[in-house]
Amino acid sequence: GLTSARAAEILARDGPNALTPPKSTPEIIKFLKQMVGGFSILLWVGALLCWIAFGIQIAQGVASAFDNLYLGVVLALVVILTGIFAYYQEAKSTNIMASFSKMIPQQALVIRDGEKKEVPAEQLVVGDMVEIKGGDRIPADIRLIFAQGCKVDNSSLTGESEPQSRSCDFTHENPLETKNIAFYSTTCLEASPFLPGTATGMVINTGDHTIIGRIASLASGVGNEKTPIAIEIEHFVHIVAGVAVSIGVLFFIIAVSMKYKVLDSIIFLIGIIVANVPEGLLATVTVSLSLTAKRMAKKNCLVKNLEAVETLGSTSIICSDKTGTLTQNRMTVAHLWFDDQIYSADTSEEQTTQSFDQSSQSWAALSKIVTLCNRAEFKPGQENVPIMKRVVVGDASETALLKFAEVILGDVMGIRKRNRKLAEIPFNSTNKFQLSIHETEDPNDKRFLLVMKGAPERILERCSTIMINGEEQPLDRERAEAFQTAYMELGGLGERVLGFCHLYLPEDEFPDTYPFDTDSMNFPTSNLCFVGLLSMIDPPRSTVPDAVSKCRSAGIKVIMVTGDHPITAKAIAKSVGIISANSETVEDIAKRLNIPVEQVNKQDARAAVINGMELKDMTTEQLDEILINHSEIVFARTSPQQKLIIVEGCQRQDAVVAVTGDGVNDSPALKKADIGIAMGIAGSDAAKNAADMILLDDNFASIVTGVEEGRLIFDNLKKTIAYTLTKNIAELCPFLIYIIASIPLPIGTITILFIDLGTDIIPSVALAYEKAESDIMNRRPRHKKKDRLVNEQLAVYSYLQIGILQSVGAFLAYFTVYAEQGWLPNTLLGLRVSWEDDYYNDIEDSYGQEWTRYQRTYLQWSGYTAFFVSITIQQVADLIIRKTRRNSLFQQGLLRNKVIWVGIFSQIAIALILCYGLGSVTALNFTPLRVQYWFVAMPYAILIWVYDEIRKLFIRQYPGSWWDKNMYY
Amino acid sequence: MSKEEKKPFSQTMAEWRQFVYNPRSGEFLGRTAKSWGLILLFYLVFYGFLAALFTFTMWVMLQTLSGDIPKYRDRISSPGLMISPKPVTALEFYFNKSDSKSYAEYVSTLKQFLKSYDDSKQSKNIACTAGKLFEQNEDRAVKQACQFNRTKLGSCSGVEDDTFGYAKGTPCVLVKMNRIIGLKPEGEPHIQCSPKEEGKVQITYFPDGGMIDLMYFPYYGKKLHADYLQPLVAVQLAINSSITKEDVTIECKIMGSPNLRNEDDRDKFLGRISFKVQMSE
Repeated sequence: GLTSARAAEILARDGPNALTPPKSTPEIIKFLKQMVGGFSILLWVGALLCWIAFGIQIAQGVASAFDNLYLGVVLALVVILTGIFAYYQEAKSTNIMASFSKMIPQQALVIRDGEKKEVPAEQLVVGDMVEIKGGDRIPADIRLIFAQGCKVDNSSLTGESEPQSRSCDFTHENPLETKNIAFYSTTCLEASPFLPGTATGMVINTGDHTIIGRIASLASGVGNEKTPIAIEIEHFVHIVAGVAVSIGVLFFIIAVSMKYKVLDSIIFLIGIIVANVPEGLLATVTVSLSLTAKRMAKKNCLVKNLEAVETLGSTSIICSDKTGTLTQNRMTVAHLWFDDQIYSADTSEEQTTQSFDQSSQSWAALSKIVTLCNRAEFKPGQENVPIMKRVVVGDASETALLKFAEVILGDVMGIRKRNRKLAEIPFNSTNKFQLSIHETEDPNDKRFLLVMKGAPERILERCSTIMINGEEQPLDRERAEAFQTAYMELGGLGERVLGFCHLYLPEDEFPDTYPFDTDSMNFPTSNLCFVGLLSMIDPPRSTVPDAVSKCRSAGIKVIMVTGDHPITAKAIAKSVGIISANSETVEDIAKRLNIPVEQVNKQDARAAVINGMELKDMTTEQLDEILINHSEIVFARTSPQQKLIIVEGCQRQDAVVAVTGDGVNDSPALKKADIGIAMGIAGSDAAKNAADMILLDDNFASIVTGVEEGRLIFDNLKKTIAYTLTKNIAELCPFLIYIIASIPLPIGTITILFIDLGTDIIPSVALAYEKAESDIMNRRPRHKKKDRLVNEQLAVYSYLQIGILQSVGAFLAYFTVYAEQGWLPNTLLGLRVSWEDDYYNDIEDSYGQEWTRYQRTYLQWSGYTAFFVSITIQQVADLIIRKTRRNSLFQQGLLRNKVIWVGIFSQIAIALILCYGLGSVTALNFTPLRVQYWFVAMPYAILIWVYDEIRKLFIRQYPGSWWDKNMYY
Repeated sequence: MSKEEKKPFSQTMAEWRQFVYNPRSGEFLGRTAKSWGLILLFYLVFYGFLAALFTFTMWVMLQTLSGDIPKYRDRISSPGLMISPKPVTALEFYFNKSDSKSYAEYVSTLKQFLKSYDDSKQSKNIACTAGKLFEQNEDRAVKQACQFNRTKLGSCSGVEDDTFGYAKGTPCVLVKMNRIIGLKPEGEPHIQCSPKEEGKVQITYFPDGGMIDLMYFPYYGKKLHADYLQPLVAVQLAINSSITKEDVTIECKIMGSPNLRNEDDRDKFLGRISFKVQMSE
């Protein structure tokens, strides 16, 4: 090995043996981004205008100048606080990730200075000699110089799920193919308890220079795309900002041309901006998204990026892995063939019994072979663990057989003990069979039992008889054909088939003391008795078929992408419904009609199974054609690199693509996808890093639950935004009327902020808890470019209809307060200038009374409060109508979403506190209000509700009508 | 989409033109003429209905009000003080006693203000019992008003001196108490003014002692009490000629009545007023 000094030298040169984490944006940049994103710019402008106005007024010696200073500070605070909040939310979701990816530092056994040492894998350098044993993760790219029974699981790198043996022979030019190189982050397998694989090798690449490192850097090269919801929110911000700026500028011009002073016009402009911008909305959206993210995490979808929550909802194509995602990722006995009949076994996750007919003597014989001719063993100490969850030492097929036997017979280890094993020939690739000889547990039967299993055709070759109903019968042509049919049928299901046979050795030829020798094979291995076939498959998860059919009704195309054999892939696709029962592939049609594949009209085939080799030779156009023409597609034998091509193909169809992946080399595809989903259990860290979402249980069905949540949040965000936008008009109108009609200001800027950031916050979050109106999984995914979050209908209905209704209601309250104090509406018109004159202390009201400036101001605050209360009351109605967009409230149920009621009570409580609790704090501009003013806008609130019910009724009654097109948002 | 290439400007323009008027579908700003007609009709009906509803609810609200007195008077429980003439900016008098133009504005305001106090205008008003509230029977549709003769304002009445003392350097300022319906002052209310710095100015009150007679109260409102004249107190300031060109701040307060407040932290004009006078020669 190297000397420590030399190692240190190389370490200094090459850097540590670790992957450079993807470059992350500095925290301060992230923070500043939150400060200038969305509406912040607009509010900064507002704050700046406030300070300018303050500066001018202070120079002029205006007494109320400080109001503007405070308002500016408040606006700046609003921006900073919402920025901090958004940053905090963002950071929190990132932290979940950070904790997730944290790992125990890996240790490597290295030979340095001629001694074996444990060092952290990070400190390995090129030229180091390392020792690896079964179960270890390989600490760097190494060239093996000694290997014994060493197998590696390269699945994270190449996607091949079969373990691959490694030796010190150089077998191929390509480093990925040659047998004497083991790659960083792959695992050395613990092949069997008897043969712990060990290897020694020399480090040839470290850190970013390893194959994995190169792929990882490739992944970071794939750019991050904006999530659909980010695009939608940007679109929405543009609309609102556009409205705010244009109304602001328009009224600035109107004000100036109406001979208002420029300074006053600027102050109006501030008011218009503040009224137009839904200050609390972006925070609300963040909260809603993170609530959904939490809900999804409970359903095993861990979302890394909050916005991905919704992306999942707009998904139109899911490219799913097979192994582990659609399937249980373990071999399980699926079918049996004995007594000339095929039996199906239960393959569900939680099996505790098997229900096929077990009365036949043939089954007794078969089960004995299954039990005895098996080297797999349960790890000790798992007596209380369900059989299916126990850890087994042994390969996948043997594990399947062991568990199968344990479920039916129970205590397999005990049976084996009672039937002592005398000799054994393990499976090898030349024999293709496994054989063992046992004593029988029947003390009266002194014969030995020879049991054998293996490739069915090889087993059959060695048999001369076959067991039917417990009787040995000669294996004639008819029987052999029956066997062939069964074998083909099971093979056609994509299952791995094993044949089983046995022979009772005659007592006279093989006495008690007979020395069995496996090398010389001093026992018969032909003319055996064929007992049956067993076939195994990695069965689909039981929840998957349902989830796939849900996807189908939700208009989501599910594409299976697997490295497995096409037949297996197709079989699984059929069993989970990715290929539906009655659809055919081109090959199926060709077979049915007995014509060559080329003559089949491709349009007739709904399904397609594409081989990776075919894919390799395809042009983009051909791939597009396949993706468009076939609705049920399986890609088999694909390399993970091809996944990226498939994803890009789907994205060319304008689809929102979700991709699942676990391997390191899936990471480019995960990054490229609109939403990359990494597997939480099987996934590699690189995949988790590249993904937007982590599926904690690796279960496809969880994706579908996620989709449902994502769609729901999109609908609910729509409702939240509609709710929030509505009152902006009621906040804006006062300013416009104030400028045009010169009435005393109906509502102040500070009061507006109390609505936007006070009473309205909890209700708008409460809408995130709203249940779906109808089965959202029964409609097509939204079109990225057509179905907008904030569409024209939503804006128009909120702004021009409900918003105006609210304003009218609030103005009624305003005029009522003034009129009942002596200021009739006609007196108020054109009053503004003298009303706001600080030295005009004897303005006459409609009844001849004279008011000082402060008395007027106090009345003005009462007006603010009344206006505020009216908006609040009408926002309660607004909140209730926003529960549904199409259904009647009575269909939706008023009590199903209890959080809405929390919202309503909080809204009213906050208004009460502001009005009566803080009514004496002058800076807040609230006054205790007469109780009856709370009810002035009530008729309008009721009208809002009635009108919206009518709107929904017409939409339901006349779908597709003019009303539906213009009123449904 | 970030990936999308920037469209050439001409294409954007063409798209806009297409949006403004699409000759193929006949769409103007995204809607056909029929569609525009329908939507305009809808909003015409919608806003028409809203306007009618608003008018109706306002009308209902106004029906609940009396034309004589406002429903609530709790926002003005105590009257404010105000002066006449009111300088245009702030309450600061600047004038030169030898330049009649510099105070012409004040004089004309005073003249205008006192016109309604002319004897000729007060023929309908009655002479009331001084020192007593003049409460009138409720069923009287038209309330009577008490006479307030200009002569009570002495040298500030403008009868003898039509420059109200401005020419002589003894300017008159009228102090009045805001009208509030139903207000019944207690005690003996009078106006008391004082300069901020002692000795700079001599103050003479008309009527004597700045008394506000109770007989002018209560006020019954513009409609019932059309002829009502509020009592005035004239304050004549004899500014010490040595301090010309200096500001004199004068604060007037209503005193002597327990129910008329004059010390409110927030309302600087509630029962008090302060103004500045700067005279030059």
